Amino acid sequence: MNLSEEELKRYNRQMMMDGWGEETQQKLKNSTVFIAGAGGLGSPVSIYLTVAGIGNLRICDFDSPDWTNLNRQILHDHTRIGTNKAESAKITLNRLNPSVNVEAFTGKITEETVDELVGDADLIIDCMDNFPTRYLLNETAIRKGIPLIYGSIWGMDGMVSFIDSPETPCLKCLFPEAPPSETFPVVGATPGVIGSLQALEAIKYLTGIGSNLRGYLLVWNGMKNEFRRYRVPKDPECPICGNNKG
Amino acid sequence: MKITVKLFATLKQYGPEIQEMTVQEGTTVADIVRMLRIPESIPLLRIVNSVHVDPNHKLKDGDPLALFSPIAGG
Repeated sequence: MNLSEEELKRYNRQMMMDGWGEETQQKLKNSTVFIAGAGGLGSPVSIYLTVAGIGNLRICDFDSPDWTNLNRQILHDHTRIGTNKAESAKITLNRLNPSVNVEAFTGKITEETVDELVGDADLIIDCMDNFPTRYLLNETAIRKGIPLIYGSIWGMDGMVSFIDSPETPCLKCLFPEAPPSETFPVVGATPGVIGSLQALEAIKYLTGIGSNLRGYLLVWNGMKNEFRRYRVPKDPECPICGNNKG
Repeated sequence: MKITVKLFATLKQYGPEIQEMTVQEGTTVADIVRMLRIPESIPLLRIVNSVHVDPNHKLKDGDPLALFSPIAGG
């Protein structure tokens, strides 16, 4: 399926980039991404993938926006309070780019539902707010043989990594234990930074342009606006991807 | 010997974001964690010179140690 005249104009500025062009744009159009969470990180991730012309975007969130979400969850506004976040995301994303096929899933991501929710996606983008679901997505990505882009935030701090086990450490290698659940402090620009980096990792992977954060944890300290990249090894004893996995 | 310790995100409550510490030869990463009174219950990612190390890793003069606790926010 060729790109329409409108699409050629819409994506013109990115197609001007070295190695991009019409063929690469077509790769994006043929891609499917599963975004877990339509909150702080899910907002910039889904918005930038939508305007970049991803073909199919599957977005999942069981929650609905409340006032305390609106400093950062830019998919939603006060008129969407009470609307499911995935449904609200679909409305926003369809307005931004109607040529993208957005599927909204309003259920919880559980052991029973995760395989069907992820479906035949080429990539999982982890925009969750809790580690049990992040671990579940990690295991699903490994089982399905697809990469997962991890991102998390706290205050003016954030982390990103591109997980493609067995070539890279998995999330459980990086963080064997979950932090306690909490209502975390955050300013909206923080998920803006980290979510944009996750979207960029996805675009690079799907187009084959540039390289990904494979085996690296990128850490952003927003207080100082300092980025550092740390090499992180696989854990041979990892219960999920190590030698003695269950 | 002198080392530099950096604390990330939620760990900043246990000391300055960056501090220089004078410690004895043979000091391990676990020793530093104890000195900072970071509870054992907090899961940690320990990085020295951009490499992930285990708690028993012995530090050398001039080493930068970065301590991270996983953050869940999204």
